Amino acid sequence: MKTTKAFRAALTAASALIAVAFAGAAMAEDVTLEYWVYSDFAQGEALAMQQEFIKEFTAAHPGVTINISGKGDDDLTAGQVAGAASGTVPDVYMNAQSVGAQLVDVGAMANIYSQFMALPEEQRNQFDKDALASCMPKPDELYCLPYTGFGSLLFLNLTVLEKAGIDTATPPATWSEWFEQMQKVKAAGMYAIPDETLVFNSIAEIYATTGSTETWGFDWANRKTRIDEATMTTVLQKFVDMVPLNSGTSRNDQATKDLFISNQLAFHTIGPWVNPTYEEAAKASGLKYDFVLIPGDTAGKTGGIRSYEIVAVAPGKNQEIAFQFAAFITEKAQMARWAKLLARYNANAAAMADPDVSALPLIKVSVDAAHGAMEVAAPYFVGSIPSCYNSTVIDFASATADGEYTPAEGAKEMIAALNECMAQ
Amino acid sequence: MPFRRYLPHYLMIAPFMVLFVVFFLYPILSGLYYSFHDWNGVRVPEFVGADNYSKIVASRDFSRAMGNLAAYIAITVPLGILAALGLALLVDSFTGRWSNFFRNAYFMPVVLPAFLAATIWRWIYAPNFGLLNTVLGWFGLPSVNFLNDTGTMLYALIAVDIWVSAGFNMVIILAGLKNIPTELYEAARLDGASRRQQLFHVTIPMLGPVLFFVLTYGLISAMQVFDKPWLLTGSSFTSYGGRRNALLFPVMDMMGRAFGGVKFGEAAAYGFLLTVAIVAVTGVMFGLRAWSERR
Repeated sequence: MKTTKAFRAALTAASALIAVAFAGAAMAEDVTLEYWVYSDFAQGEALAMQQEFIKEFTAAHPGVTINISGKGDDDLTAGQVAGAASGTVPDVYMNAQSVGAQLVDVGAMANIYSQFMALPEEQRNQFDKDALASCMPKPDELYCLPYTGFGSLLFLNLTVLEKAGIDTATPPATWSEWFEQMQKVKAAGMYAIPDETLVFNSIAEIYATTGSTETWGFDWANRKTRIDEATMTTVLQKFVDMVPLNSGTSRNDQATKDLFISNQLAFHTIGPWVNPTYEEAAKASGLKYDFVLIPGDTAGKTGGIRSYEIVAVAPGKNQEIAFQFAAFITEKAQMARWAKLLARYNANAAAMADPDVSALPLIKVSVDAAHGAMEVAAPYFVGSIPSCYNSTVIDFASATADGEYTPAEGAKEMIAALNECMAQ
Repeated sequence: MPFRRYLPHYLMIAPFMVLFVVFFLYPILSGLYYSFHDWNGVRVPEFVGADNYSKIVASRDFSRAMGNLAAYIAITVPLGILAALGLALLVDSFTGRWSNFFRNAYFMPVVLPAFLAATIWRWIYAPNFGLLNTVLGWFGLPSVNFLNDTGTMLYALIAVDIWVSAGFNMVIILAGLKNIPTELYEAARLDGASRRQQLFHVTIPMLGPVLFFVLTYGLISAMQVFDKPWLLTGSSFTSYGGRRNALLFPVMDMMGRAFGGVKFGEAAAYGFLLTVAIVAVTGVMFGLRAWSERR
């Protein structure tokens, strides 16, 4: 009896220990990841697809819970910077490439190079090489996985162009052809283009019609701008020439979209995210539009900018599982589904080459646009862009367009002011 | 033994003292400390003396922001008080339900979230399709790009600001009006004072303390203006202030330095400069008030 009792007690104790051990193991595996995305990723069908990705990942990783939160551009950056200071950075999050250096600087981004190198080679090779390189300031430092992206496009209102007597079958191939069309549109009593001096990205888009990545962005070693004076002079002259032709609204204003939809504006240079709005207007009000590459100064050269949204992982105890999730959502299968759903370009070159994806018109032109476009704020992940930089570019572009400077003076003053800003 | 004797008293004021130290004194002192350091919010702060201050004062953005602020204060504060006083006198002249209705109607913009107010006004100001430009069109006038034309941007902001703040100031002035003894008006009427004379010789002098409060509060608020110009110009941490920085204000510049450039030391210095300016202005206001009372 005694033996039986002792045996039972020992068995009970062992069972309890095993139960505790299992519970401990389960506890160790249980993890909640905070996943921050741009607002438009957390709405409608985009959110449904993100949740599908999360469901698939968590099914393969029991004990992992992922909370997705959509945030505006500024909220993302402010939250990540403040989170770095307080030790509450989201485990995995999106932001723009151009903010990367700031986030590395405050310690919000983990170096994921070793984890990336541990991925199968096939998966590593899926990424667009340039996009991946932009996340690597040094050979053994990788701070992000390139995710979605864009190359800016020229949206054409075909009704406006027809009214102005322009043959819409042949889109403009060079800046001079494009400018000639702008003048015809204005002569027909409509607006040609938004005011491209109001937003940094639209200034960059027009700069790219003449210049290139090598003459734009930052010389971090000497803390100077890479903007070339002669190129900027040419570009500022373009802004001066466009003054009588523009709508006075910025590329990002709702008013610009309204003008385009109501057949009062011919051209709109912007990223592909505007397409759903115009697609809807085509169905609802018969808007006739098309999208092409932004023409550069010479045939074959394109203007416009490219940039990527990135996925980064916070350093800390959840870094490993957070990286696995980041690798999962940026993998070809997920990126192809994402591209098909939204007809949006992304940094997974293998997904972009998928026949079902590359057949989509917007994807096709976006791939070409991204490859021919100028990097908007390269090189990335080297230094934090001073807050005075973008506003200085906008200020001088607008002032020159207003006639306060000649294009040559404007370019010279702008570069001097930018160098002063960079030196701070 | 005095400490023991007064322990209950200390315990009584302890909650306030704790909150005061944690949420007021500590942030101010740490802000002052960081303002003399190069600090990105995370790294170990590096002492740089007064560099942050000199950088800020020497920057183009600072002089532009201060210039804009001076123009904004010079117009919006007196105009805002006049509008509030006018509304208060108007609402005071109504009785019963109408008084309540108009008081609530004019106060409504105060409780609107800034984002909503900015959205409404962006629609009102929109070129071509906006409400204002539609009205201008009826009279055959050309479309005005209120939020992108450097000649109109500041006035467009001031109109929004007055629309938002007038209701708040009106309620305060209205409370002041209710406290003016009716005997004073009766006496003035017996002396043959006209409505205008009653306004300038009874109402406004009796509203002195209230108007002083509204003026001081208006000045302090104006010096901290941020959300309306930020939203009206569609600003972000990487680009703010609108066309040619016509709506760039100090707090916007400070936010840009903190979150756009990740220079929290500079932002702290900026905050301190603003704090000193606000304290100085408030001090001058109280000094003027004391001087006018002694006269």
